[in-house]
Amino acid sequence: MSEPPRQGKRAAFRRWRGDRPFWGGLLLALGGAEVLLTMKASMKVVLHMGMQGLAGYLLPALMLLLGLLILFNPAQRLFYSITGVVLSMGTWATSNLGGFMIGLLLGVVGSCLSFGWLPDQEPRVSRRKRRRQARALQQPAAEALQ
Amino acid sequence: MASSSDATSSAGNTSENPESGSIPEASDGPARRGRVRGRRAAIMAVPAVAITAGLAILTAEGALGVQFAISGMPFTVTATELNGTGFEQFGGLDNMAEGSPNAGDTGGQVLVVTSAIKSATLTKLCQSVDLGGTNLLITAGGGSEKVQATDLTTDSTELSGDAAFTNIEIGNDASTLTKAGVKGPLGVFSQQADTVRIANLRQTNYATTAAVFKLPGLNLSFSSKGC
Repeated sequence: MSEPPRQGKRAAFRRWRGDRPFWGGLLLALGGAEVLLTMKASMKVVLHMGMQGLAGYLLPALMLLLGLLILFNPAQRLFYSITGVVLSMGTWATSNLGGFMIGLLLGVVGSCLSFGWLPDQEPRVSRRKRRRQARALQQPAAEALQ
Repeated sequence: MASSSDATSSAGNTSENPESGSIPEASDGPARRGRVRGRRAAIMAVPAVAITAGLAILTAEGALGVQFAISGMPFTVTATELNGTGFEQFGGLDNMAEGSPNAGDTGGQVLVVTSAIKSATLTKLCQSVDLGGTNLLITAGGGSEKVQATDLTTDSTELSGDAAFTNIEIGNDASTLTKAGVKGPLGVFSQQADTVRIANLRQTNYATTAAVFKLPGLNLSFSSKGC
């Protein structure tokens, strides 16, 4: 049943990943980066448009920052993920329809994953393993009846 | 130990440092790891999806203005008719982002015509970006309501259409332009006009920015052919 303990960097990374909402934070950060990549207007035009133009850069930059914060400070993940989902949806209006929807979807999915993440859960049991366990429980009972 | 940590996690204790309880010991069977609980994630996912859909619907109806700032890749814009007030046009040089894969043999710079329009209405706007094989196609303003843009600035390499200007001044210095609020570089040829009307507009752009873009009847799709 018990897996042989893995060694080396991969095991350390796996342990590090288990301590934080890794995929949630990563997706949110990637979403922010994607929106930023689609926002490449020249700075002169941005300054001309003023605050409204600046918000287009500010929101995805904050998304990227929050994604990294979820990864490196997972204790505060509720605040980060709620702020993250609001910012992701805000990019729809400010930054190229949320980076043509890709960045927006990544951000929303990442925030939801971070929000739903809980530390210290029972290890996942596959369906086949669960069925085998149930059968193992039933068989001794049936033999006892005979 | 197992039961106590189970109780704290099911109560959704967030202040607990996740690093403290989960140092796995090799002798203690499979390690306990953090995991995404589906129902908990759904608490946020359901309203988030609803609001996102709401935003999309509001934009498609033209109630919500969205902001665009695109560059680095050439994209095509067409419209059956463009009406604008406050028009400026001058030559310029666009710099691509450092190390851009779109640079090719251009050295990262393209010669562009910058057109600025203070406020514009466009009929049957169609915009396509070639993503290598497929095109991202955005159409809007096909119905009775037209696309509206304020402080619209485009950097184009190609511009064609049937144009009509009123009160046009040709041959100004680009740094003295007044009609649309954008100033070009000193000593560059430019022209400006009070109003502009372009039928069958077709542009190849490197950059478009607008303070506000209203897109009634928005339709975003992938297509094998562009505009």
